[in-house]
Amino acid sequence: LVLAVAELGHLAVELLRRGAAPKACEAAARKLNAGVDTVQHGVEGLMYLLTESSKLMISEMDFQDSIHVLGFSDELNKLLLQLYLDNRKEIRSILGELAPKLPSYHSLEWRLDVQLASRSLRQQIKPAVTIKLHLNENEDLTTQVLQTDPSTLLHLIQQLEQALGEMKTNHCRRIARNMK
Amino acid sequence: MELSAYAQGGCRLLGDPRRLSRRAYAALLRAAFRGVLQPHGGVADPELSDVDPAVLKQCHAAAAACILEAGRQRADRAALSACLEECKLDRERIEQFCTEYQKNREALEELLGSIGRAPPHVTDVSWRLAYRIQTHELHRAYQPTYLLTLSTENSDTGAQPDLSFSCTMEQLQAGGKGRICCATLLVMVFIEVVK
Repeated sequence: LVLAVAELGHLAVELLRRGAAPKACEAAARKLNAGVDTVQHGVEGLMYLLTESSKLMISEMDFQDSIHVLGFSDELNKLLLQLYLDNRKEIRSILGELAPKLPSYHSLEWRLDVQLASRSLRQQIKPAVTIKLHLNENEDLTTQVLQTDPSTLLHLIQQLEQALGEMKTNHCRRIARNMK
Repeated sequence: MELSAYAQGGCRLLGDPRRLSRRAYAALLRAAFRGVLQPHGGVADPELSDVDPAVLKQCHAAAAACILEAGRQRADRAALSACLEECKLDRERIEQFCTEYQKNREALEELLGSIGRAPPHVTDVSWRLAYRIQTHELHRAYQPTYLLTLSTENSDTGAQPDLSFSCTMEQLQAGGKGRICCATLLVMVFIEVVK
């Protein structure tokens, strides 16, 4: 039984990492001499146990207390605890990816141009900074091309410096410290 | 400075004292500049009520064409005078035109310079610093995040929807700000050189 659970545990973690794998479940079912449905339910149950425990980041003791009600053998309980401890960091990082997300910054390219003339006005000297902003949006990389002028650029930098400075204030440091 | 045949014809009318009196000419000049620089201002002026509407229309169009072409070519006083001389305007009327042109030249060039296609222009950035405590999938997920919103404008279509995205402190420091700083340095050096 312990070996079976170990096998199912492995499948559960793979399910979290890569998603459903029906072939793997079938193979495990054959190996364990059990029905595919049984294996599937077992894997899903273990997955639920692991994700809930990781989500709440419960302590070893709490985990043991929680599974105690299931009435498993000591050996099995130990195995489940080990499974949780070994995988919780990775599971948490996967769960972290699932948060509702805005497009997030990926990278930035820029170019300095000087406009010398246009159809509507000859003989110009108009510096412009063209920016290619790469964002992660729902697992896709999107690109926005934007432009700005030197004085606005300086203004933007000033604003961003203020933003960065904010994290270093006592107020924010105190909150960060107390949260941990 | 080249004008179309229609505009040249209109300019000749502009200079004809039998069609446009001195006062009407001055009023039309003012109206033409106003029409170009403040399009919603309207042309109505009591001084022009006596002028034949067809003549008024052609004169106004010609004056506007002349103004725009002079602005586009960044014409100086001499070039503008030469063009108006060709259309047989008298010395006084040419002087008046050139004076109005000088007065409005900066605004005119600014207007003409803003016409054209370009990527959305960033006008401002607003930011928000948040400390993520928890998500529906993850408890005790402490992390500071910045939410940046870039306000953009497009000369064709006016204001565009803002562009919002999140980034970490490290990204803001290294990526965003760092690169933008390089860009600024280069721009400032360039401006010095050009001066």
